[in-house]
Amino acid sequence: MIVRMATALILCWALAGSQPGRAEELVASVSSDTVSIQSNFTGTEIVIFGQVIRDTNTIGRRGTYELAVVVQGPPQDITARRKGRFAGVWVNRDYEQFRDVPAFYAVTSTVRIGDMADRVVLDEHEIGLNHLNLAVSGSSAVPLSERDDFREAFLRLRQQQGLYSERHGAVEFLTETMFRTTIPLPANIPVGNYLVKSFLFQDGVLLSRTESDLFVRKTGFEQFTFDFSREYSFVYGIVAVMLAMFTGWLAGVIFKKD
Amino acid sequence: MQLYLPIAEIPVNMFLIFGMGGAVGFLSGLFGIGGGFLLTPLLIFSGIPPAVAVATVTTQVVASSASAVMTYLRRKAIDLKLGTMLLIGGIAGSALGVLLFDLLQSLGQLDVVISLSYVTFLGAIGTLMFVESIRAIRRRKTGVAVRARRPGQHNWIHGLPLKMRFRRSKLYVSVIPILVLGAGIGFLGTVLGIGGGFMMVPALIYLLRVPTGIVIGTSLFQILFTMSAATVFHAIGTQTVDLVLALTLMIGGVIGAQFGARVGQNLRGDQLRLLLALLVLGVGLRFAIDLLIVPDDLYSIAITMGAGA
Repeated sequence: MIVRMATALILCWALAGSQPGRAEELVASVSSDTVSIQSNFTGTEIVIFGQVIRDTNTIGRRGTYELAVVVQGPPQDITARRKGRFAGVWVNRDYEQFRDVPAFYAVTSTVRIGDMADRVVLDEHEIGLNHLNLAVSGSSAVPLSERDDFREAFLRLRQQQGLYSERHGAVEFLTETMFRTTIPLPANIPVGNYLVKSFLFQDGVLLSRTESDLFVRKTGFEQFTFDFSREYSFVYGIVAVMLAMFTGWLAGVIFKKD
Repeated sequence: MQLYLPIAEIPVNMFLIFGMGGAVGFLSGLFGIGGGFLLTPLLIFSGIPPAVAVATVTTQVVASSASAVMTYLRRKAIDLKLGTMLLIGGIAGSALGVLLFDLLQSLGQLDVVISLSYVTFLGAIGTLMFVESIRAIRRRKTGVAVRARRPGQHNWIHGLPLKMRFRRSKLYVSVIPILVLGAGIGFLGTVLGIGGGFMMVPALIYLLRVPTGIVIGTSLFQILFTMSAATVFHAIGTQTVDLVLALTLMIGGVIGAQFGARVGQNLRGDQLRLLLALLVLGVGLRFAIDLLIVPDDLYSIAITMGAGA
Protein backbone atom coordinates (compact mmCIF):
# COMPACT_ATOMS: atom_id res chain seq x y z
CA MET A 1 0.00 0.00 0.00
CA ILE A 2 2.75 2.42 1.00
CA VAL A 3 4.64 1.67 -2.19
CA ARG A 4 1.49 2.19 -4.24
CA MET A 5 0.84 5.51 -2.56
CA ALA A 6 4.37 6.62 -3.18
CA THR A 7 4.17 5.69 -6.86
CA ALA A 8 0.89 7.50 -7.19
CA LEU A 9 2.31 10.59 -5.51
CA ILE A 10 5.27 10.61 -7.84
CA LEU A 11 2.83 10.22 -10.69
CA CYS A 12 0.89 13.23 -9.44
CA TRP A 13 3.98 15.38 -9.35
CA ALA A 14 5.10 14.14 -12.72
CA LEU A 15 1.70 14.99 -14.16
CA ALA A 16 1.82 18.34 -12.45
CA GLY A 17 5.02 19.24 -14.26
CA SER A 18 3.57 18.47 -17.65
CA GLN A 19 0.26 20.29 -17.28
CA PRO A 20 -0.34 23.25 -19.56
CA GLY A 21 -1.07 26.48 -17.80
CA ARG A 22 -4.67 26.65 -16.68
CA ALA A 23 -5.88 28.28 -13.54
CA GLU A 24 -6.43 25.19 -11.37
CA GLU A 25 -5.85 21.63 -12.34
CA LEU A 26 -6.87 18.53 -10.44
CA VAL A 27 -4.87 15.34 -10.65
CA ALA A 28 -5.90 12.20 -8.84
CA SER A 29 -4.76 8.63 -8.68
CA VAL A 30 -6.27 5.41 -7.39
CA SER A 31 -4.20 3.10 -5.18
CA SER A 32 -4.91 0.21 -7.50
CA ASP A 33 -6.71 0.18 -10.81
CA THR A 34 -7.92 -3.41 -10.41
CA VAL A 35 -9.75 -4.98 -7.49
CA SER A 36 -9.46 -8.76 -7.64
CA ILE A 37 -12.11 -10.95 -6.08
CA GLN A 38 -10.81 -14.28 -4.80
CA SER A 39 -12.33 -17.00 -2.65
CA ASN A 40 -11.41 -15.18 0.56
CA PHE A 41 -12.71 -11.79 -0.61
CA THR A 42 -14.54 -9.97 2.18
CA GLY A 43 -14.44 -6.48 0.79
CA THR A 44 -11.57 -4.03 0.55
CA GLU A 45 -10.95 -0.34 0.29
CA ILE A 46 -9.34 1.83 -2.30
CA VAL A 47 -7.29 4.91 -1.60
CA ILE A 48 -7.64 7.87 -3.90
CA PHE A 49 -5.28 10.77 -3.64
CA GLY A 50 -4.23 13.68 -5.70
CA GLN A 51 -3.26 17.26 -5.85
CA VAL A 52 -4.64 20.61 -6.82
CA ILE A 53 -2.16 22.25 -9.13
CA ARG A 54 -2.12 25.98 -9.22
CA ASP A 55 -0.59 27.87 -12.06
CA THR A 56 2.05 30.23 -10.71
CA ASN A 57 0.21 33.06 -12.44
CA THR A 58 -3.02 32.26 -10.63
CA ILE A 59 -4.06 34.98 -8.29
CA GLY A 60 -4.76 33.47 -4.91
CA ARG A 61 -8.51 33.27 -4.56
CA ARG A 62 -10.40 33.62 -1.38
CA GLY A 63 -12.24 30.61 -0.03
CA THR A 64 -11.05 27.06 0.45
CA TYR A 65 -11.01 24.17 -1.95
CA GLU A 66 -13.84 21.66 -1.65
CA LEU A 67 -13.56 18.20 -3.11
CA ALA A 68 -15.91 15.38 -3.97
CA VAL A 69 -14.73 11.95 -5.06
CA VAL A 70 -17.24 9.60 -6.68
CA VAL A 71 -16.74 5.89 -7.33
CA GLN A 72 -19.38 4.66 -9.71
CA GLY A 73 -20.09 1.09 -10.85
CA PRO A 74 -21.42 -0.30 -14.14
CA PRO A 75 -25.05 0.38 -15.11
CA GLN A 76 -27.87 -1.93 -14.05
CA ASP A 77 -31.60 -2.11 -14.56
CA ILE A 78 -33.34 -2.53 -11.25
CA THR A 79 -36.94 -3.22 -10.38
CA ALA A 80 -38.19 -1.87 -7.05
CA ARG A 81 -41.33 -3.58 -5.80
CA ARG A 82 -43.77 -2.75 -3.06
CA LYS A 83 -45.75 -5.37 -1.18
CA GLY A 84 -49.44 -5.04 -0.63
CA ARG A 85 -52.12 -7.25 0.83
CA PHE A 86 -53.79 -9.52 -1.66
CA ALA A 87 -56.41 -11.96 -0.35
CA GLY A 88 -54.95 -11.63 3.12
CA VAL A 89 -51.42 -12.44 2.00
CA TRP A 90 -48.54 -10.00 1.50
CA VAL A 91 -47.40 -10.11 -2.11
CA ASN A 92 -45.46 -7.80 -4.43
CA ARG A 93 -47.95 -5.43 -6.08
CA ASP A 94 -46.71 -2.11 -7.51
CA TYR A 95 -43.32 -1.78 -9.09
CA GLU A 96 -41.10 0.81 -10.66
CA GLN A 97 -38.24 0.04 -13.05
CA PHE A 98 -35.05 2.03 -12.80
CA ARG A 99 -32.96 2.11 -15.95
CA ASP A 100 -29.17 2.35 -16.19
CA VAL A 101 -28.61 3.15 -12.54
CA PRO A 102 -25.12 2.55 -11.15
CA ALA A 103 -24.53 -0.87 -9.58
CA PHE A 104 -22.33 0.87 -7.04
CA TYR A 105 -22.11 4.50 -6.02
CA ALA A 106 -19.96 5.94 -3.27
CA VAL A 107 -19.21 9.61 -2.80
CA THR A 108 -16.90 11.19 -0.26
CA SER A 109 -16.55 14.91 0.14
CA THR A 110 -14.91 17.55 2.27
CA VAL A 111 -18.21 19.16 3.31
CA ARG A 112 -21.91 18.45 2.92
CA ILE A 113 -22.66 17.91 -0.77
CA GLY A 114 -25.37 20.56 -0.77
CA ASP A 115 -22.93 23.20 0.50
CA MET A 116 -20.46 22.65 -2.31
CA ALA A 117 -22.38 23.92 -5.29
CA ASP A 118 -25.74 24.64 -6.82
CA ARG A 119 -28.26 21.93 -7.40
CA VAL A 120 -27.90 22.37 -11.15
CA VAL A 121 -24.17 21.68 -11.08
CA LEU A 122 -24.55 18.71 -8.74
CA ASP A 123 -27.34 17.25 -10.85
CA GLU A 124 -25.32 17.67 -14.02
CA HIS A 125 -22.36 15.74 -12.66
CA GLU A 126 -24.44 13.40 -10.50
CA ILE A 127 -22.60 14.26 -7.30
CA GLY A 128 -24.40 13.00 -4.20
CA LEU A 129 -27.19 10.47 -3.73
CA ASN A 130 -29.84 13.18 -3.98
CA HIS A 131 -28.47 14.25 -7.32
CA LEU A 132 -28.23 10.85 -8.97
CA ASN A 133 -30.20 10.56 -12.14
CA LEU A 134 -32.50 7.61 -11.40
CA ALA A 135 -34.43 7.30 -14.63
CA VAL A 136 -37.57 5.21 -14.46
CA SER A 137 -39.08 3.38 -17.40
CA GLY A 138 -42.01 5.01 -19.14
CA SER A 139 -44.66 2.43 -18.37
CA SER A 140 -45.61 2.37 -14.73
CA ALA A 141 -48.83 1.89 -12.84
CA VAL A 142 -47.53 3.85 -9.87
CA PRO A 143 -49.29 7.19 -9.36
CA LEU A 144 -47.01 10.22 -9.69
CA SER A 145 -47.50 11.14 -6.06
CA GLU A 146 -45.98 7.85 -4.94
CA ARG A 147 -43.01 7.72 -7.29
CA ASP A 148 -40.77 9.48 -4.78
CA ASP A 149 -41.53 6.70 -2.28
CA PHE A 150 -40.03 4.19 -4.68
CA ARG A 151 -37.01 6.39 -5.27
CA GLU A 152 -36.47 6.79 -1.55
CA ALA A 153 -36.92 3.06 -0.92
CA PHE A 154 -34.50 2.30 -3.72
CA LEU A 155 -31.80 4.55 -2.26
CA ARG A 156 -32.45 3.28 1.26
CA LEU A 157 -32.20 -0.40 0.27
CA ARG A 158 -29.06 0.16 -1.76
CA GLN A 159 -27.51 1.97 1.20
CA GLN A 160 -28.49 -0.93 3.47
CA GLN A 161 -26.73 -3.30 1.10
CA GLY A 162 -23.66 -1.07 1.31
CA LEU A 163 -23.73 -0.45 -2.42
CA TYR A 164 -24.60 3.24 -2.21
CA SER A 165 -22.97 5.60 0.26
CA GLU A 166 -22.34 9.24 0.93
CA ARG A 167 -19.77 10.41 3.47
CA HIS A 168 -19.02 13.99 4.38
CA GLY A 169 -15.73 15.19 5.79
CA ALA A 170 -14.02 12.03 4.62
CA VAL A 171 -11.62 13.74 2.21
CA GLU A 172 -8.49 14.70 4.05
CA PHE A 173 -6.17 17.49 2.96
CA LEU A 174 -2.60 16.47 3.70
CA THR A 175 -1.18 19.84 2.71
CA GLU A 176 -2.91 22.88 1.35
CA THR A 177 -3.19 21.27 -2.08
CA MET A 178 -2.73 17.54 -1.54
CA PHE A 179 -5.67 15.38 -0.58
CA ARG A 180 -6.41 11.77 0.21
CA THR A 181 -9.56 9.71 0.75
CA THR A 182 -10.47 6.08 1.15
CA ILE A 183 -13.57 4.43 -0.23
CA PRO A 184 -14.60 1.05 1.21
CA LEU A 185 -15.75 -1.57 -1.29
CA PRO A 186 -18.11 -4.08 0.36
CA ALA A 187 -17.92 -7.85 -0.09
CA ASN A 188 -21.02 -7.94 -2.29
CA ILE A 189 -19.59 -5.45 -4.78
CA PRO A 190 -20.68 -6.23 -8.36
CA VAL A 191 -17.96 -6.98 -10.88
CA GLY A 192 -17.44 -4.69 -13.84
CA ASN A 193 -15.82 -1.48 -15.01
CA TYR A 194 -15.95 1.39 -12.55
CA LEU A 195 -15.21 5.08 -12.84
CA VAL A 196 -13.47 7.17 -10.20
CA LYS A 197 -14.42 10.83 -10.64
CA SER A 198 -12.94 13.72 -8.66
CA PHE A 199 -14.40 17.22 -8.60
CA LEU A 200 -12.76 20.39 -7.33
CA PHE A 201 -15.01 23.23 -6.19
CA GLN A 202 -14.34 26.67 -4.84
CA ASP A 203 -17.05 29.07 -3.78
CA GLY A 204 -19.62 26.93 -5.55
CA VAL A 205 -17.73 26.94 -8.84
CA LEU A 206 -16.52 23.72 -10.42
CA LEU A 207 -12.86 24.49 -11.11
CA SER A 208 -11.70 21.17 -12.41
CA ARG A 209 -12.58 17.52 -12.68
CA THR A 210 -10.77 14.34 -13.47
CA GLU A 211 -11.76 10.76 -14.17
CA SER A 212 -10.02 7.40 -14.11
CA ASP A 213 -10.94 3.74 -14.57
CA LEU A 214 -11.22 1.06 -11.92
CA PHE A 215 -11.81 -2.59 -12.68
CA VAL A 216 -13.46 -5.02 -10.30
CA ARG A 217 -12.82 -8.57 -11.43
CA LYS A 218 -13.15 -12.08 -10.18
CA THR A 219 -9.89 -13.93 -10.61
CA GLY A 220 -8.67 -17.49 -10.75
CA PHE A 221 -11.11 -20.19 -9.72
CA GLU A 222 -14.03 -17.81 -9.13
CA GLN A 223 -13.71 -16.30 -12.60
CA PHE A 224 -13.25 -19.71 -14.19
CA THR A 225 -16.32 -21.18 -12.46
CA PHE A 226 -18.49 -18.21 -13.38
CA ASP A 227 -17.41 -18.17 -17.04
CA PHE A 228 -17.81 -21.93 -17.25
CA SER A 229 -21.36 -21.77 -15.85
CA ARG A 230 -22.29 -19.14 -18.43
CA GLU A 231 -20.53 -20.39 -21.54
CA TYR A 232 -20.87 -24.15 -21.12
CA SER A 233 -23.96 -24.27 -18.93
CA PHE A 234 -24.91 -27.80 -19.98
CA VAL A 235 -21.46 -29.21 -19.16
CA TYR A 236 -21.48 -27.21 -15.92
CA GLY A 237 -24.76 -28.88 -14.95
CA ILE A 238 -23.37 -32.33 -15.78
CA VAL A 239 -20.23 -31.59 -13.73
CA ALA A 240 -22.41 -30.53 -10.78
CA VAL A 241 -24.39 -33.79 -10.99
CA MET A 242 -21.22 -35.90 -11.30
CA LEU A 243 -19.66 -34.16 -8.35
CA ALA A 244 -22.80 -34.69 -6.27
CA MET A 245 -23.07 -38.38 -7.19
CA PHE A 246 -19.39 -38.89 -6.49
CA THR A 247 -19.68 -37.22 -3.06
CA GLY A 248 -22.71 -39.37 -2.24
CA TRP A 249 -20.99 -42.52 -3.46
CA LEU A 250 -17.82 -41.70 -1.53
CA ALA A 251 -19.80 -41.14 1.66
CA GLY A 252 -21.55 -44.46 1.10
CA VAL A 253 -18.19 -46.23 0.76
CA ILE A 254 -16.56 -44.51 3.74
CA PHE A 255 -19.48 -45.05 6.10
CA LYS A 256 -20.45 -48.48 4.79
CA LYS A 257 -22.13 -50.42 7.55
CA ASP A 258 -23.49 -53.61 6.06
CA MET B 1 -14.10 -18.37 7.68
CA GLN B 2 -15.61 -16.42 4.83
CA LEU B 3 -15.99 -18.08 1.47
CA TYR B 4 -16.87 -16.19 -1.70
CA LEU B 5 -19.56 -17.88 -3.79
CA PRO B 6 -18.77 -17.43 -7.49
CA ILE B 7 -22.35 -17.67 -8.77
CA ALA B 8 -24.26 -16.09 -5.88
CA GLU B 9 -21.52 -13.40 -5.86
CA ILE B 10 -21.60 -12.95 -2.12
CA PRO B 11 -19.33 -14.20 0.65
CA VAL B 12 -20.80 -16.58 3.22
CA ASN B 13 -19.56 -18.07 6.46
CA MET B 14 -18.29 -21.48 5.41
CA PHE B 15 -18.87 -23.08 8.81
CA LEU B 16 -22.43 -21.81 8.98
CA ILE B 17 -23.24 -23.39 5.60
CA PHE B 18 -21.35 -26.55 6.52
CA GLY B 19 -23.28 -26.70 9.80
CA MET B 20 -26.63 -26.23 8.06
CA GLY B 21 -25.77 -29.02 5.64
CA GLY B 22 -24.78 -31.20 8.58
CA ALA B 23 -27.90 -30.47 10.65
CA VAL B 24 -30.25 -31.07 7.73
CA GLY B 25 -28.22 -34.15 6.78
CA PHE B 26 -28.67 -35.46 10.33
CA LEU B 27 -32.45 -35.03 10.09
CA SER B 28 -32.55 -36.57 6.63
CA GLY B 29 -30.64 -39.60 7.90
CA LEU B 30 -32.91 -39.78 10.94
CA PHE B 31 -36.18 -39.64 9.01
CA GLY B 32 -35.10 -41.08 5.67
CA ILE B 33 -35.99 -37.89 3.79
CA GLY B 34 -34.01 -35.71 1.37
CA GLY B 35 -34.29 -32.66 3.55
CA GLY B 36 -34.57 -30.18 0.69
CA PHE B 37 -37.72 -28.69 2.19
CA LEU B 38 -35.68 -27.74 5.28
CA LEU B 39 -32.46 -26.73 3.58
CA THR B 40 -33.90 -24.38 0.97
CA PRO B 41 -35.75 -22.21 3.53
CA LEU B 42 -32.72 -22.21 5.84
CA LEU B 43 -30.52 -20.94 3.02
CA ILE B 44 -33.06 -18.29 2.04
CA PHE B 45 -33.42 -17.13 5.67
CA SER B 46 -29.64 -16.85 5.92
CA GLY B 47 -29.42 -14.45 2.99
CA ILE B 48 -28.68 -16.63 -0.04
CA PRO B 49 -30.72 -15.37 -3.02
CA PRO B 50 -33.81 -17.65 -3.36
CA ALA B 51 -32.97 -18.55 -6.96
CA VAL B 52 -29.48 -19.75 -5.97
CA ALA B 53 -30.81 -21.58 -2.90
CA VAL B 54 -33.43 -23.51 -4.87
CA ALA B 55 -31.12 -24.49 -7.73
CA THR B 56 -28.21 -25.43 -5.50
CA VAL B 57 -30.29 -27.56 -3.15
CA THR B 58 -31.31 -29.73 -6.12
CA THR B 59 -27.61 -30.56 -6.48
CA GLN B 60 -27.27 -31.25 -2.76
CA VAL B 61 -30.28 -33.60 -2.92
CA VAL B 62 -28.48 -35.58 -5.67
CA ALA B 63 -25.56 -36.16 -3.31
CA SER B 64 -27.67 -37.11 -0.31
CA SER B 65 -29.89 -39.51 -2.26
CA ALA B 66 -26.96 -41.09 -4.17
CA SER B 67 -25.50 -42.84 -1.14
CA ALA B 68 -28.94 -43.99 0.04
CA VAL B 69 -29.85 -45.36 -3.41
CA MET B 70 -26.67 -47.44 -3.36
CA THR B 71 -27.67 -49.00 -0.06
CA TYR B 72 -31.19 -49.82 -1.31
CA LEU B 73 -29.81 -51.23 -4.58
CA ARG B 74 -27.61 -53.63 -2.61
CA ARG B 75 -30.67 -54.72 -0.63
CA LYS B 76 -32.65 -55.03 -3.90
CA ALA B 77 -35.35 -52.81 -2.39
CA ILE B 78 -35.97 -50.74 -5.52
CA ASP B 79 -38.55 -51.35 -8.22
CA LEU B 80 -36.45 -50.13 -11.14
CA LYS B 81 -39.30 -50.35 -13.66
CA LEU B 82 -41.66 -48.31 -11.49
CA GLY B 83 -38.82 -45.91 -10.69
CA THR B 84 -38.06 -45.41 -14.39
CA MET B 85 -41.70 -44.66 -15.19
CA LEU B 86 -41.84 -42.13 -12.35
CA LEU B 87 -38.60 -40.69 -13.66
CA ILE B 88 -39.93 -40.15 -17.19
CA GLY B 89 -42.78 -38.14 -15.74
CA GLY B 90 -40.35 -36.45 -13.35
CA ILE B 91 -38.03 -35.14 -16.06
CA ALA B 92 -40.92 -33.70 -18.03
CA GLY B 93 -42.26 -32.04 -14.88
CA SER B 94 -38.84 -30.73 -13.99
CA ALA B 95 -38.37 -29.08 -17.40
CA LEU B 96 -41.75 -27.38 -17.03
CA GLY B 97 -40.74 -26.32 -13.54
CA VAL B 98 -37.65 -24.46 -14.74
CA LEU B 99 -39.78 -22.60 -17.30
CA LEU B 100 -42.24 -21.50 -14.62
CA PHE B 101 -39.37 -20.63 -12.27
CA ASP B 102 -37.89 -18.28 -14.91
CA LEU B 103 -41.27 -16.71 -15.59
CA LEU B 104 -42.09 -16.13 -11.91
CA GLN B 105 -38.65 -14.68 -11.32
CA SER B 106 -39.11 -12.11 -14.06
CA LEU B 107 -42.57 -11.25 -12.72
CA GLY B 108 -41.18 -10.77 -9.22
CA GLN B 109 -43.59 -13.31 -7.77
CA LEU B 110 -41.17 -16.19 -7.22
CA ASP B 111 -40.78 -15.64 -3.49
CA VAL B 112 -44.49 -15.51 -2.77
CA VAL B 113 -45.20 -18.60 -4.87
CA ILE B 114 -42.43 -20.49 -3.07
CA SER B 115 -43.80 -19.39 0.30
CA LEU B 116 -47.42 -20.20 -0.55
CA SER B 117 -46.48 -23.62 -1.92
CA TYR B 118 -44.47 -24.39 1.19
CA VAL B 119 -47.40 -23.43 3.41
CA THR B 120 -49.82 -25.51 1.36
CA PHE B 121 -47.76 -28.65 0.92
CA LEU B 122 -46.00 -28.69 4.25
CA GLY B 123 -49.26 -27.89 6.04
CA ALA B 124 -51.19 -30.64 4.29
CA ILE B 125 -48.53 -33.35 4.48
CA GLY B 126 -47.58 -32.38 8.03
CA THR B 127 -51.17 -32.61 9.23
CA LEU B 128 -51.70 -35.98 7.51
CA MET B 129 -48.53 -37.40 9.00
CA PHE B 130 -49.34 -35.98 12.42
CA VAL B 131 -52.80 -37.57 12.51
CA GLU B 132 -51.50 -40.87 11.14
CA SER B 133 -48.63 -41.13 13.62
CA ILE B 134 -50.85 -40.25 16.61
CA ARG B 135 -53.24 -43.01 15.54
CA ALA B 136 -50.37 -45.46 15.16
CA ILE B 137 -49.06 -44.62 18.62
CA ARG B 138 -52.56 -45.06 20.11
CA ARG B 139 -52.99 -48.38 18.32
CA ARG B 140 -49.67 -49.59 19.63
CA LYS B 141 -50.65 -48.59 23.18
CA THR B 142 -54.14 -50.16 23.05
CA GLY B 143 -52.80 -53.23 21.30
CA VAL B 144 -55.20 -53.24 18.33
CA ALA B 145 -53.81 -55.20 15.38
CA VAL B 146 -52.69 -53.11 12.41
CA ARG B 147 -54.67 -53.66 9.26
CA ALA B 148 -52.60 -55.56 6.73
CA ARG B 149 -52.46 -54.65 3.05
CA ARG B 150 -55.18 -56.38 1.14
CA PRO B 151 -54.01 -57.28 -2.39
CA GLY B 152 -57.53 -57.34 -3.80
CA GLN B 153 -58.34 -53.85 -2.59
CA HIS B 154 -58.85 -51.39 -5.48
CA ASN B 155 -59.55 -47.69 -5.86
CA TRP B 156 -60.46 -45.58 -8.92
CA ILE B 157 -56.81 -45.40 -9.99
CA HIS B 158 -56.79 -49.10 -10.70
CA GLY B 159 -59.54 -48.65 -13.28
CA LEU B 160 -57.47 -46.50 -15.66
CA PRO B 161 -56.26 -47.84 -19.05
CA LEU B 162 -52.67 -48.50 -20.30
CA LYS B 163 -51.92 -51.02 -17.61
CA MET B 164 -48.44 -52.23 -16.94
CA ARG B 165 -47.08 -54.98 -14.72
CA PHE B 166 -44.55 -54.13 -12.02
CA ARG B 167 -43.23 -57.44 -10.71
CA ARG B 168 -41.21 -56.28 -7.77
CA SER B 169 -44.03 -54.12 -6.43
CA LYS B 170 -46.59 -56.84 -7.17
CA LEU B 171 -48.66 -54.27 -9.03
CA TYR B 172 -50.68 -54.23 -12.24
CA VAL B 173 -51.72 -50.62 -12.76
CA SER B 174 -52.09 -47.95 -15.43
CA VAL B 175 -48.96 -45.89 -16.23
CA ILE B 176 -51.03 -42.69 -16.34
CA PRO B 177 -51.17 -42.04 -12.58
CA ILE B 178 -47.49 -42.99 -12.30
CA LEU B 179 -46.42 -40.51 -14.98
CA VAL B 180 -48.65 -37.81 -13.51
CA LEU B 181 -47.31 -38.40 -10.01
CA GLY B 182 -43.71 -38.32 -11.27
CA ALA B 183 -44.34 -35.14 -13.27
CA GLY B 184 -46.13 -33.41 -10.42
CA ILE B 185 -43.36 -34.08 -7.94
CA GLY B 186 -40.60 -33.29 -10.47
CA PHE B 187 -42.35 -30.00 -11.19
CA LEU B 188 -42.74 -29.03 -7.53
CA GLY B 189 -39.24 -30.21 -6.73
CA THR B 190 -37.71 -27.98 -9.36
CA VAL B 191 -39.74 -24.92 -8.44
CA LEU B 192 -39.37 -25.35 -4.68
CA GLY B 193 -35.89 -26.86 -4.49
CA ILE B 194 -37.01 -30.02 -2.75
CA GLY B 195 -36.69 -33.69 -3.59
CA GLY B 196 -40.33 -34.32 -2.78
CA GLY B 197 -39.76 -37.62 -0.98
CA PHE B 198 -42.12 -36.56 1.77
CA MET B 199 -44.90 -36.31 -0.84
CA MET B 200 -43.80 -39.24 -3.02
CA VAL B 201 -43.71 -41.83 -0.23
CA PRO B 202 -47.30 -41.33 1.00
CA ALA B 203 -48.57 -41.10 -2.59
CA LEU B 204 -46.96 -44.41 -3.53
CA ILE B 205 -48.30 -46.10 -0.41
CA TYR B 206 -51.84 -44.74 -0.33
CA LEU B 207 -52.63 -44.13 -4.02
CA LEU B 208 -50.73 -46.86 -5.85
CA ARG B 209 -50.48 -49.28 -2.92
CA VAL B 210 -46.82 -50.08 -3.47
CA PRO B 211 -45.49 -52.37 -0.71
CA THR B 212 -43.80 -50.36 2.06
CA GLY B 213 -40.50 -52.23 1.74
CA ILE B 214 -40.08 -51.07 -1.86
CA VAL B 215 -41.41 -47.52 -1.47
CA ILE B 216 -38.47 -45.66 0.03
CA GLY B 217 -35.85 -47.12 -2.29
CA THR B 218 -37.99 -46.49 -5.37
CA SER B 219 -38.82 -42.96 -4.27
CA LEU B 220 -35.13 -42.22 -3.66
CA PHE B 221 -34.21 -43.67 -7.05
CA GLN B 222 -36.70 -41.38 -8.77
CA ILE B 223 -35.55 -38.38 -6.69
CA LEU B 224 -31.89 -39.01 -7.52
CA PHE B 225 -32.46 -38.84 -11.24
CA THR B 226 -35.17 -36.18 -11.27
CA MET B 227 -32.96 -33.89 -9.20
CA SER B 228 -30.00 -34.65 -11.47
CA ALA B 229 -32.12 -33.51 -14.38
CA ALA B 230 -33.30 -30.48 -12.37
CA THR B 231 -29.67 -29.52 -11.68
CA VAL B 232 -28.85 -29.60 -15.38
CA PHE B 233 -32.05 -27.70 -16.28
CA HIS B 234 -31.26 -25.05 -13.65
CA ALA B 235 -27.66 -24.82 -14.87
CA ILE B 236 -28.91 -24.09 -18.38
CA GLY B 237 -32.08 -22.13 -17.64
CA THR B 238 -31.67 -20.06 -14.50
CA GLN B 239 -27.85 -20.40 -14.29
CA THR B 240 -28.02 -20.21 -10.52
CA VAL B 241 -26.38 -23.51 -9.49
CA ASP B 242 -23.48 -22.52 -7.25
CA LEU B 243 -20.91 -25.33 -7.20
CA VAL B 244 -18.99 -23.97 -4.20
CA LEU B 245 -22.17 -23.66 -2.14
CA ALA B 246 -23.36 -27.09 -3.28
CA LEU B 247 -20.08 -28.78 -2.38
CA THR B 248 -19.99 -27.23 1.10
CA LEU B 249 -23.59 -28.34 1.73
CA MET B 250 -22.98 -31.84 0.38
CA ILE B 251 -19.99 -32.57 2.56
CA GLY B 252 -21.82 -31.38 5.66
CA GLY B 253 -24.93 -33.25 4.54
CA VAL B 254 -23.46 -36.68 3.91
CA ILE B 255 -21.60 -36.65 7.24
CA GLY B 256 -24.68 -35.52 9.17
CA ALA B 257 -26.81 -38.16 7.45
CA GLN B 258 -24.62 -40.98 8.78
CA PHE B 259 -25.08 -39.88 12.38
CA GLY B 260 -28.80 -39.31 11.82
CA ALA B 261 -29.28 -42.80 10.45
CA ARG B 262 -27.60 -44.31 13.53
CA VAL B 263 -29.80 -42.34 15.95
CA GLY B 264 -32.86 -43.20 13.87
CA GLN B 265 -32.36 -46.92 14.39
CA ASN B 266 -33.02 -46.46 18.13
CA LEU B 267 -36.39 -44.74 17.67
CA ARG B 268 -39.75 -46.30 16.87
CA GLY B 269 -41.22 -45.69 13.42
CA ASP B 270 -44.38 -43.97 14.67
CA GLN B 271 -42.41 -41.73 17.02
CA LEU B 272 -40.14 -40.78 14.13
CA ARG B 273 -43.12 -39.95 11.95
CA LEU B 274 -44.63 -37.80 14.71
CA LEU B 275 -41.39 -35.86 15.09
CA LEU B 276 -41.11 -35.43 11.34
CA ALA B 277 -44.74 -34.26 11.17
CA LEU B 278 -44.03 -31.60 13.82
CA LEU B 279 -40.91 -30.50 11.94
CA VAL B 280 -42.80 -30.23 8.64
CA LEU B 281 -45.62 -28.30 10.31
CA GLY B 282 -43.10 -25.99 11.98
CA VAL B 283 -41.45 -25.02 8.70
CA GLY B 284 -44.87 -24.53 7.09
CA LEU B 285 -45.94 -22.30 9.97
CA ARG B 286 -42.81 -20.18 9.65
CA PHE B 287 -43.69 -19.47 6.01
CA ALA B 288 -47.33 -18.80 6.87
CA ILE B 289 -46.34 -16.20 9.48
CA ASP B 290 -44.12 -14.42 6.96
CA LEU B 291 -46.99 -14.22 4.51
CA LEU B 292 -49.56 -13.01 7.02
CA ILE B 293 -47.85 -10.48 9.26
CA VAL B 294 -47.04 -6.99 8.01
CA PRO B 295 -43.51 -7.16 6.52
CA ASP B 296 -40.75 -5.08 8.14
CA ASP B 297 -40.04 -3.52 4.80
CA LEU B 298 -42.69 -3.24 2.12
CA TYR B 299 -40.13 -2.49 -0.55
CA SER B 300 -37.65 -4.78 -2.22
CA ILE B 301 -35.32 -4.41 -5.18
CA ALA B 302 -34.14 -6.88 -7.77
CA ILE B 303 -31.53 -6.50 -10.47
CA THR B 304 -33.05 -7.20 -13.87
CA MET B 305 -30.15 -6.34 -16.17
CA GLY B 306 -26.46 -5.60 -15.97
CA ALA B 307 -23.89 -6.67 -13.39
CA GLY B 308 -25.22 -9.28 -10.98
CA ALA B 309 -28.51 -9.89 -12.79
